[in-house]
Amino acid sequence: MDHAALQHLAQQQWLIPLFPLVAAAIQSLLPRGQRKLSAGLCIVAMGASCILAVRAFLATLGTEHHEVERAFFNFTWFQFGNTHLDMGLLLDPLTAGMAVMVAFVGFWIFVNATGYMAEDDNFTRFFCFQSLFAASMLGLVVSNNLLLLYICWELVGLCSYLLIGFWYFKPAAAAAMKKAFITTRIGDVGFFLGILMLYWKTGTLNLYTADHTGALEQAGALAHLAGWWGLSAASTIAFLLFIGALGKSAQFPLHVWLPDAMEGPTPVSALIHAATMVAAGVFMVGRMFPLFTAEPGNWVMDFVMWVGCFTAVFSATIAVAQFDIKRVLAYSTCSQLGFMVMALGAGSLAAGQFHLLTHAFFKALLFLGSGCVIIGTHHEQDMRKMGGLKKYMPITFWCYLIGMLALCGVPPFAGFFSKDEVLLETFRRSKVAWGLATFAAFLTAFYMTRQMFMVFAGKWRGGQPDHGHGHADHDTPDDHGSGHHGGEPHEVSWNMWLPLVVLSAFAIGLGFFSQQYGQYLGVEGGEAPEGKALVMGSSVAVGALGILLGWLIYGRRTMEHATEEDPLSASLGVLFTVLNRKWYIDELYEVTIIRFTAVCGVFLRLFDKLVVDGILHAIAWSFWGVSQLFRWLGDEFFINGGFDSSCESVRLGGKTLAKLQSGRVQNYFRVLSLGAAILLLIYFFT
Amino acid sequence: MNIPLDHYLMLSAFLFAIGLCGALSRKNAIIVLIGIEIMFNAGILNLIAFWHYKYFTSVTAQMFAIFAISIAAAESAIGLALVIAVYRHYKSVDVDEMASLKG
Amino acid sequence: METIFWILSVITVLGAIFAITLRNLIHCVLSLILFFLGIAGHYFLMHADFIGAVQILIYIGAVAVLMLFAIMLTRHVTGDEGPREVLGGKWWAGMGTAVIIAGLLWAIIRKDALAQLLPVGAAETSVVEIGKALVADWVVPFEAMAVLLTAALIGAVVIALEEVIRKR
Repeated sequence: MDHAALQHLAQQQWLIPLFPLVAAAIQSLLPRGQRKLSAGLCIVAMGASCILAVRAFLATLGTEHHEVERAFFNFTWFQFGNTHLDMGLLLDPLTAGMAVMVAFVGFWIFVNATGYMAEDDNFTRFFCFQSLFAASMLGLVVSNNLLLLYICWELVGLCSYLLIGFWYFKPAAAAAMKKAFITTRIGDVGFFLGILMLYWKTGTLNLYTADHTGALEQAGALAHLAGWWGLSAASTIAFLLFIGALGKSAQFPLHVWLPDAMEGPTPVSALIHAATMVAAGVFMVGRMFPLFTAEPGNWVMDFVMWVGCFTAVFSATIAVAQFDIKRVLAYSTCSQLGFMVMALGAGSLAAGQFHLLTHAFFKALLFLGSGCVIIGTHHEQDMRKMGGLKKYMPITFWCYLIGMLALCGVPPFAGFFSKDEVLLETFRRSKVAWGLATFAAFLTAFYMTRQMFMVFAGKWRGGQPDHGHGHADHDTPDDHGSGHHGGEPHEVSWNMWLPLVVLSAFAIGLGFFSQQYGQYLGVEGGEAPEGKALVMGSSVAVGALGILLGWLIYGRRTMEHATEEDPLSASLGVLFTVLNRKWYIDELYEVTIIRFTAVCGVFLRLFDKLVVDGILHAIAWSFWGVSQLFRWLGDEFFINGGFDSSCESVRLGGKTLAKLQSGRVQNYFRVLSLGAAILLLIYFFT
Repeated sequence: MNIPLDHYLMLSAFLFAIGLCGALSRKNAIIVLIGIEIMFNAGILNLIAFWHYKYFTSVTAQMFAIFAISIAAAESAIGLALVIAVYRHYKSVDVDEMASLKG
Repeated sequence: METIFWILSVITVLGAIFAITLRNLIHCVLSLILFFLGIAGHYFLMHADFIGAVQILIYIGAVAVLMLFAIMLTRHVTGDEGPREVLGGKWWAGMGTAVIIAGLLWAIIRKDALAQLLPVGAAETSVVEIGKALVADWVVPFEAMAVLLTAALIGAVVIALEEVIRKR
């Protein structure tokens, strides 16, 4: 496609986030009862965005050479004096792929949500927020301007906050929404510092501009400017930006909000915390990749890689010991994000982004599947109380199985190809990291197998009488009543399993495009021949090993009762408890940082009350005093007093003059003759 | 006779002052009327004096005097009738008591 | 001739003074009669015969008698001689005014050149001429005067009429 047509499409990129935004705006005004209308509006809007995104994607496919086709459209947002703030829209392979993924996956998640939220009172509010989120995420993806990206970044954070705390009347949800927002905000401080520094050094926030003065185009120049901590300016900015990605993509140490975010409804978890928002951090690093690679041999890339590697292993260990179906998937997301970040840190844009795309599909599939399981078992979320669901929910089972195999990296599913690319790039960069990543892959296979057997195999443990109401932290507001909890699970309605089927297709087939994706992004396709066989073989091997171990422990003898002890905990003992309690990181944060912040808060409150309020009160009192003085002096004394005395004098004058009206004729006569005498006087003296 | 006019004028002025004095100072309403009569007569005396000294050929001054006297008489009649009527109401002829037009 | 003038003046002034200062009202009126006589004398001295006669007839004959009647009608039944206090409130105001006026008039008269006139001749007019003038040139004021006197007569009667008649 020629460049002019691409340019034309780039100008229309703003339509992609527009449809969900308009849908959200209309839905915010709809009354609560209009469920069909609200859901329909939302889905139609997402469908429209999807079609537009696919159109843009197809337009970018027509490149014959390795030159990256990129079209953008910048416009001035507002101007003050000589400086002006711009916004921009971009259409390039990275953007197009992400847009299609977000729109497509979002569309199917919305379809599923109509079933999941069917019994909730706040149906319309849910879809309003979801649309807003979709609009923000799409806006983030099509943005050519770091300011617009940041705005959309914050907006997705806001929507995440609103949706995690969708059932805000639950204390756990309220705490989780705050935690999510505050933790990501900490990362956003770094992000913002990065933006400031970039603007300072380059004078623009546009990523690509017509005269090649865009921020990314100046990356090379920035590499020669000095930054902080012995880095060049480009790497310093990259580091600061990566801190934002740390928060948003839930890398260690800011990962703590993601598992708690599972308090939100499952479609939220699927859309935001698996496929899109958490991927925004990775996407942003990918978008700003020229900054990261501008200075050769800087330690920021190594830092990124090690953070990703550590997070991958760390989260995978925790996932092994979790009992909530969504928590396992949450930690799995954390771990896979670590893989992506690690790949980016190892220097490969294509591997990281491709894994992002495939992960979006199969993780959304897994989350939607878990949503179906939750609905089908009447809001049961503890895996110990499930079991044997294969015969009750066959469609869900097969789709879930496909997703699980994709995640474990079993060929020929999508996850195998993408994870393989990641491991290969890591192997080229650092053997130690590769080793740890492979261990993480092993753990991934293990815990997913554990989950599969616990949930779908064996016999249904849900109806047992001695489990009581063990939903201490999973109470949903629309409880069906105690009678329902022991009921038989059932398959879900078609609008819940259809998205699963569609996503499964992608989970199977998407992997074959890994090579094309690399070329599509314009990355050089040359790969080192050595190590490829080793890496591929080892990844398959550890996958198989993990599945085998899982089967040995959980599959051969499935759990009989819900209260049974996990077989693994018997072997690992204290370690299992530590893993179950997430390595006590939350407790550590509570004791150190949160306590410290609370103490600071107390001091600041005291300061505010005494000093600031004191000054304010002093000012107010002084004003009051001055006004009282004016009131007394001016008003009381002069104005009131003056007026009163003039009235009084008039009254007294009148009273005195009234004495003339004595009614006595003789007095009148006297006055008369006095007047005559005065006239005579005047006559005499003039 | 060699009395200049000013003697008569001064006499008339003096009598006028006496009459005024009486009208302004006494409490009894009838004395007030007496004072007014004195003033009247002083005025008419003045008039006749001028006639005698300067306008003795004309009859106008005498006419004036005749009319003045008759008017004075009518006025005193009315005044005394009023005093009688007032006396019936107030039971006294004290001018200080007749203050119902006060204010 | 001057002596007659001075005597008459003294009589007049004394009559006036006593008329306003005596305590007994009857004595006041009698003094007033004396005053009227003095004025009449002055008129006769100035050859204004008719006026003098009119003065005696009307003033002494009618006005003074009327005053006596009024005094008699307004006496207290208890035979009181009138109010104890002779002078009204703030009598000095009136007296002072009168004094001022007298003084001013004296000063004015003194200065005036006209005042130095001396009588030039005897009066030429007589009663016949007065009579003629009354019904010829002065007929309108004459008739008006008649109306006025009639009105005064009726008015005085009405005002002084006993209210007893109305109460029935």
